[in-house]
Amino acid sequence: MAVVLKTGDQLQPVTHEVTNEKMIEFEKCVWDRGRNSHSDINAAKADGIHRTIASGQNQMAFLHELMELNFGDAWVYGGKISVRYIHPVYAGDHLTATGLVTSIGEFDGKPRVELQLWCENQDGRKTSAGTASAAQPSSMRSWVKKNSEGAEK
Amino acid sequence: MAESTGENKVWESIPVGDDLGSLDYVLTEQMVADYRRVVDNPCAAYPTVAARHPANLFYRKYAAVMRVPNMGHDCEYYNPPVVGKRITIRGRIADKYIRRGNPYIIVEAVAVDEDGRLLEKSRLVGHAREVGKEAAHETIAKKWGA
Repeated sequence: MAVVLKTGDQLQPVTHEVTNEKMIEFEKCVWDRGRNSHSDINAAKADGIHRTIASGQNQMAFLHELMELNFGDAWVYGGKISVRYIHPVYAGDHLTATGLVTSIGEFDGKPRVELQLWCENQDGRKTSAGTASAAQPSSMRSWVKKNSEGAEK
Repeated sequence: MAESTGENKVWESIPVGDDLGSLDYVLTEQMVADYRRVVDNPCAAYPTVAARHPANLFYRKYAAVMRVPNMGHDCEYYNPPVVGKRITIRGRIADKYIRRGNPYIIVEAVAVDEDGRLLEKSRLVGHAREVGKEAAHETIAKKWGA
């Protein structure tokens, strides 16, 4: 039985270490973007920064996992998110994605959970922040790691 | 709402509503597996996060003159992509504005699969940087010493 969230509830967070290897690999996922400021130090210097930084989409991936973990299908089918990347993320950072329920609204006659969510690094510094919304948590289906045996391909 | 400053000629020349066209690709099992491994989430529903639909459509047309470092995203998700299905994305310039003296471009992409299922709508908030005028991440470097 899925939980029913209420205003003030904190989401179950997810934490990941950002490694240089994964930053490089991330730039090759789905479409290879070639060398850029997320994967190559020389490209980063050409862009005006002295070391590579993780792409914003890398943080978005962690926020997706946060929402999949806490909302299941309610996020996957109908979730919305608005995020701004506010501080650089470097290789070696440990990012925690988490969120807070700010209100329970209504959309199309059904409850809609409104959230603040963010990623923060090991120093407690927010690296991205924004809002999201989804229906109340529903079936987790295959979107949660512990059920990965049933994951859709 | 766009404001004209006269200092950002390339940015000013890109009209709101500009059609960025479409492109398509087949989401392969390898793409999904690679994404899930790299983000350490074996069940990730939307490997398209790494596909950067808006940016790819934008750069196909404007790479020679403009960079749009990613300052944020606004996204809506409807149906997760299915392995083996062809995904078609179509883009446009949704908005542009000046904020705190910096020009921004909002690039929108809508993804639909071969069965007509709406997958996602994503908007890239890009900090518009004219190629050759200033390094793409100059502002980040100044602000945070990156």
